Amino acid sequence: MQKTKTYKWHSWYTPWLFVFPTLIGLFFFRFIPIGASLYLGFTDWNLIRNPEFIGLDNFREMFADPYFKLIVWNTLSLTFWYVVGSMVFGFLLACLINNKMKGMNFFRAAIYMPVITSSVALGIVWSWILGPRFGLLDILLTKVGITAPYWLTDERYALGTITFVQVWKMAGYYMILFLAGLQAISSDVIEAAIVDGANTRQRITRIIIPMLSPTVFFVLTVAIMDAFKNFELIHSMTHGGPKNATNTLVYDVYLNAFMYYRVGYAEAIAYVLLFIVGMLTLMNFVIKKRWAQPLE
Amino acid sequence: MKKIFLIAIVALLCFSVFAQAQSEKAAAETKDVTLEWWTWDPEMIEQNKSIIAAFEAQNPGVKVNNTIVDSKEYWTKLRIQAQQKRLPDVFTLSSGYIEEWASEGLLRNLDDLVKNDPSLFENFYQPIWDVTKSIAASDHYYAIPFALVNTVLYYNKDMFDQAGIAYPTDDWTWDQFLDAAKKLTVDKDNDGKIDQYGFWFYGRYAHAESFVFANNGSFVDRKTMRFAPDANAQKALRMLTDMVLVDKSAPAQQDMSALKNQQVFPNGLCAMWVDGGWYINDFKKKSDLNWGIVRVPQGPDGGKRVTYAWPDSYALSPNTAHPEEAWKFAKFVAGEGLTLDQFMAGKIPAYKGLTESEAFLTLAGEEHRADMQLLKDMASDEMTTSYTKGWSEWRGYGAADSMGLNGTIDGITNGKVTYDKAMADAETSINKVLSRYYK
Repeated sequence: MQKTKTYKWHSWYTPWLFVFPTLIGLFFFRFIPIGASLYLGFTDWNLIRNPEFIGLDNFREMFADPYFKLIVWNTLSLTFWYVVGSMVFGFLLACLINNKMKGMNFFRAAIYMPVITSSVALGIVWSWILGPRFGLLDILLTKVGITAPYWLTDERYALGTITFVQVWKMAGYYMILFLAGLQAISSDVIEAAIVDGANTRQRITRIIIPMLSPTVFFVLTVAIMDAFKNFELIHSMTHGGPKNATNTLVYDVYLNAFMYYRVGYAEAIAYVLLFIVGMLTLMNFVIKKRWAQPLE
Repeated sequence: MKKIFLIAIVALLCFSVFAQAQSEKAAAETKDVTLEWWTWDPEMIEQNKSIIAAFEAQNPGVKVNNTIVDSKEYWTKLRIQAQQKRLPDVFTLSSGYIEEWASEGLLRNLDDLVKNDPSLFENFYQPIWDVTKSIAASDHYYAIPFALVNTVLYYNKDMFDQAGIAYPTDDWTWDQFLDAAKKLTVDKDNDGKIDQYGFWFYGRYAHAESFVFANNGSFVDRKTMRFAPDANAQKALRMLTDMVLVDKSAPAQQDMSALKNQQVFPNGLCAMWVDGGWYINDFKKKSDLNWGIVRVPQGPDGGKRVTYAWPDSYALSPNTAHPEEAWKFAKFVAGEGLTLDQFMAGKIPAYKGLTESEAFLTLAGEEHRADMQLLKDMASDEMTTSYTKGWSEWRGYGAADSMGLNGTIDGITNGKVTYDKAMADAETSINKVLSRYYK
C-alpha cells in the first residue's frame, strides 16, 4: 500500500506570521476605532472631559433636528445622482476611448487626470469658474446674453453643482473600469452577432451590456461607496451652505466633531451614515446575485 | 548565517531606540526646568527657535521645548492633552475658548502671579488684560495676551477723492456713513452692473458685531445667556441689511461669493470695509491701494465709545510644575522678548515697549503713521467682545460660516428670507445651542 504523502514545506503558523503585522494594523487602526465609535455615539464628549454616557439622547436630538432630514436627503440625493452620472459618463467615455485611433492614450490620461488631482484644489478652481460676476463661466454666459444662476449659493442648484464636479472628477476612474470590462468581451462574439444580422443598438443592448453586467455591478458598488467621499469638495466649495443645502452626513460629522467639539453626537451621525452605506451595499449584492451574469 | 544576520539587524534597531530614549532622559536630568510651549503657526519655527535661545540665555537652568501644531489640528490635539491632564506649561489660547477652558479648570488662575508682579501693568496694557476677564466671564485673570486684534473702518482714499467726499473721521455719524456709501456706489461703464460699491459686508462677526457694539447694543443677553438682540442691536443689523436691500450701496453676500471676504476691498470693488486691523499686513504689499483707517462710526444710541476687540493670548497649564518659570517665559513671549517683525502688522502688541516704539508707527510706511497711531490709541480703549461657549456653532464661524447667525444674515441680504422671519428662526436655533452650555 502506498503511503499518502503531504507536501507541506512550512509550519501551520507561517502564513499567520506573514499576516500578523497587517492584522495588528487592522485591529488598532480599524476595529478598535470602529468599536469605540459605536460606544461614543451614546455619549456626550467634548474631548476635554471623559465621555459621559447619555443613552439615546444623541439619536433623539438628531431625529428631532429640523435640518437632519434635509442632510440625509442631500446625502441620498447626491449619492443617487453621482452613481447614475459617473456610471453613465464612465461608460460613454469608455465606449469613446475603446478604439485604436492615434492619440487615444493622450485622451485617456487627460480624462483620468482629475481623478488623481486633489479634491481641495479642484474645489477651489471650480469655485473660481462658477463664481458669480467674476467667474469664468459667468463671464462667458453673459457674453452670449444668458444670466447665469448662482451655482453655489442658490439652494436649488448648489447640491447639483457639487454633484456635477464630483462626477467630473471621478468619471475617468469609472471609464477605466468599464474599459477593462469592454475589452474583456471577446470580439468573436461581436463578429458572430454582426454575421447573424444584429444592428448597433441590438449589439449594445443584447450583447455588450449583458456581458458587462459583472463590471456594472462592481462599478455600482464602488460608486456607491465613492459617493459618500464628498467632504473635501463641500469643504472647499460651499461649507455645507447655503443653510445646509449642501450639507451631507459626512460634512455634518466633521462640523460636529471638529468645529463644535460634540464628538459623541458626531459619532452618532457617523453610525447613521454607516447604516445607510451598509444597507445600500447589501441591496447591491442581493441584486447582483439575482441579475448579474458572470462570464463563465 | 542569514538568520544570524537578520537577528543582529533587529537587535541593533531595538538597541538604538532604547539608546535614544536614554539620551533624552539624560538630557532632561541635567537641566533644572524644562517648559513645554505649544503654538500653532508652522511658519514661526525659526523665529521660535531664536526666541527660545534668547530666553534660555537670560535664564540659565531653564530649557524650553516648542511644539508647533498646525492650526487645523491644534485644538483637537490640545483638547486631548487637556483630557489627559498633560497640558503644556505655556500654550497659545484664542479668545473663543477662554470661557470654556476656564470654567473646566484647564487654565491656571493667574491672579497670584499678577498680584506679585507690581510692574506688570507698567509694561503691558491693562485694558487688554482686563478684556480677557470679561471674555472668560470671570473676575480672574486666565490669559496672558500678546496681541490685540480689533476692527476698524477701512476706506479707499482714491475713491473718496474721485467722488469729492471728505475722508471719514472718528466722529462720523451713521447718517454720514450711509450717505457716503450711497455716493460711492458707482456704475463706472453704465452697463447696469455696479462696479464699485460704497460698502461691503456679510454675516461675519467682525462685520456685524462692530456696528452692534458701536450702537451700544448686544446680541446676547448676558444675564440669561440667551440670544436676544436688543433694540440697539436690531437697529444696527437693519441698518446694514438695508444698505443691501434698500440703498443698494452694498452687494448681497452671494454677489461677492467668487472672492474671499478680504479680497473685495483691496481689489477696488468697494470704497469702505469694516474688519480686523490685521489686514494691514496684506495691504503693506499692495502699493496701488491707497487706504486709511478710522474707528467704526458710532451709532445714534452709541453713548460711550467701546472698541470691539479680542486678544490672542497665552495660558498656563493648571498643573504646571513650574509656575514661576512658566509665567516668566509667557511674559517673555507675550512681548518682553519679542521684536515687532514677529507680529502681523495691524495686530497691536500688548507689550507697551513694542506698541509705543517709533518703529510701530512706521510699520506700514511713513504715509500710514496716523493710521498706526489710531491702533496704538485703541490699545487703551475700553473694550468689549462677543464670545460665549459654543460661539463657533451659533455664530457660524470658519467651516460653519454658512450656518448659524452668519448664514442667517446672509439669507437676509441674499433676499431668501425676510428680516423678521430670519431673526425669529435664528433665535430658536441659536438658543438651542446656548441652552446646551448655559442651563
